[in-house]
Amino acid sequence: MSGDAVVTLRDVARTRGTEPDSFTLEVPSLTVYQGECVALTGPSGCGKSTMLDLLGLVLEPDRAKVFSLRGHGDDAIDVAELWQDNRVDALAAVRAVGIGYVLQTGGLLPFLPTRDNILLSPTLLDMQENDLVDHLIDRLRIGHLLRKKPRALSIGERQRVAIARALAHQPALLLADEPTAALDPVHAIEVTELLLELVSDLDATAIIVSHDWDMIRSLGFREIRAVPMKRGAGSATRFEG
Amino acid sequence: MTKRRRHPGPVRQLRHAAALAWRDMLHEWKVSLCLVLALAAVLAPLLVLFGLKSGIVSTMTERLKSDPRNLEIVVKGNNKLQADWINALRARQDVGFVVARTRSLAATTGLRGPDGQSAPNTDMMPTAAGDPILPATMPVPASLREVVLSHTVALKLEASTGDRVDAIVSRRYQQRSEAVTIPLTVIGVLPEAAFVRDAVFLSLPLLIATENYRDGFRVPELDVVNGDPPRADARTFAGVRLYARTLDDVATLAQFVRDHGYDVRTRAKEIETVKAIDRVLSFIFFVIAGVGITGFLLSLAASLWANVDRKRRDLAMLRLMGLGTGPLVAFPAAQALLVAIGGIVLSLALYAGVSAVFNTVLAANLNRDEFVCRLYAGDGAIAALLTIVFALGASMVGGYRVAKIDPAESLREL
Ligand SMILES: Nc1ncnc2c1ncn2[C@@H]1O[C@H](COP(=O)(O)OP(=O)(O)OP(=O)(O)O)[C@@H](O)[C@H]1O
Ligand SMILES: [Mg+2]
Repeated sequence: MSGDAVVTLRDVARTRGTEPDSFTLEVPSLTVYQGECVALTGPSGCGKSTMLDLLGLVLEPDRAKVFSLRGHGDDAIDVAELWQDNRVDALAAVRAVGIGYVLQTGGLLPFLPTRDNILLSPTLLDMQENDLVDHLIDRLRIGHLLRKKPRALSIGERQRVAIARALAHQPALLLADEPTAALDPVHAIEVTELLLELVSDLDATAIIVSHDWDMIRSLGFREIRAVPMKRGAGSATRFEG
Repeated sequence: MTKRRRHPGPVRQLRHAAALAWRDMLHEWKVSLCLVLALAAVLAPLLVLFGLKSGIVSTMTERLKSDPRNLEIVVKGNNKLQADWINALRARQDVGFVVARTRSLAATTGLRGPDGQSAPNTDMMPTAAGDPILPATMPVPASLREVVLSHTVALKLEASTGDRVDAIVSRRYQQRSEAVTIPLTVIGVLPEAAFVRDAVFLSLPLLIATENYRDGFRVPELDVVNGDPPRADARTFAGVRLYARTLDDVATLAQFVRDHGYDVRTRAKEIETVKAIDRVLSFIFFVIAGVGITGFLLSLAASLWANVDRKRRDLAMLRLMGLGTGPLVAFPAAQALLVAIGGIVLSLALYAGVSAVFNTVLAANLNRDEFVCRLYAGDGAIAALLTIVFALGASMVGGYRVAKIDPAESLREL
């Protein structure tokens, strides 16, 4: 199983902003295998969210020698080529089907109640109703929030809803940007454990960003640490693993 | 576990996007309502402006421009006009109406009403189909027995449509005074505004018959057997009643008649005034309408553009969840369309109210088929179409701009 690479990156880079305020992210080589749980760590501002944005296909790399994603049993998708050819709708389709993204800033649509937010991806994909959504709602203990709009939820509740939303369409790859940042340490562990459990139930692969080294180690994540670098006037970071 | 899922086609995605757009509008119903109100607040006055332009302004300027008194070219004196010349005149493009008339001295008659009231020395005016003095709905005297009375004459004779009146035409023939009584039927009475003097309108053959009678001929049409035998040479006419087709034709037509050696009179000064009023009103209208339409379209585009900008983050979320460019653009476009339709409906309702007020309050100044405020369906449709096109245009350009930047940038917005 773990022989299949879900994510393969070779010589991928992206610079944000202009010098001297620019920030450059470099990924000489990164491979994530089917079923793995990877944690991206590093100090604030080191580029973890930028890395997830690249993996989530919402940020265009400046260069990418190899950038491929493999969904459930599908052939590998050459993301580098899609970006190169500016096939934004094809990229959107890959995101829609294969990726679940829990944003650091929540990321729920304010005009939909919790339930419809969770059902958004399955609805957009015209998926049949299934037990998974109920299962997620049940496990994340958000059943009592279904009719509320996001602005009526606490930050922690929003994060749990966002996790359910990111998993509801059974993505092959789950990206989560500090999904438990707003929770107390006890609940943070609980929710992260739950997230891992759900990911493994769904036969998915998880890449999460976290500050909590203890938790990461105790839950058995493979840690990929940001390495700061010197690149001209701006700052730069390398992820490798 | 192997699951292959297909991404749904763009049409289904469009439907989802439109449904989401609708729910967003409901969620933000106050903002949506403000957008609709803002649109109607600018569009409704524009509609009223157009309504007044095609209503009262057009009615009034049309009335001035088609006033027969201003269109008339009076050929002075008693001339000798050939029937051919008059027919040639009738064929000209700039002639609205022309009919021959007899010597003015001969063209008066005494009239006797149904109950014996009398109106001496009433002018006899030749008329025919198309006479601008006669209202369009009034029948035109055609036979030797039909007449239309001016308002004052009808009052004097106490006669109304359908009544019998007698014309008494007198002459001196072979040193003797004699008179003929011509029984006539009143087929119409002119409104007061149409003609202010005493006059009886009749067909040219009847007028010619009375002139022939006065000139001492025998006139079998009027049962007059006494007199000289009818003349054999082609007769001429002393003058014409001549009206130009439009105000702009008056000057050239008058010049044409003048060039043939006849003395004419026109109401040049009044015509200049009417034209000036028309020019000034049109200019004022176009300036106001131009400024109003420009302002309206700019404010519409600006507010819908700003609306898209405000939703950048939500749109980026939808892109993150896999909405393609088309459906993404459809989201703000659907909202803009609804705002536009709402605004149009509301402004039409406001317009209907305002124009109803105008039409009832100022109804006294108008004829039955005239309006103070009326919007042609075509004008309304153009306004609606422009509104929708600009609303869709602005929101779609805004949507494409959002689709151009990486979703990651918009997602980070605070
Ligand atoms: N549009 C931009 N222009 C210039 N610099 C940017 C831009 N966006 C992000 N950055 C910089 O990129 C760096 C990485 O940002 P990123 O959000 O990826 O950090 P992070 O590791 O997720 O931080 P945190 O742990 O606080 O969430 C930061 O130093 C930030 O200042
Ligand atoms: Mg971050």
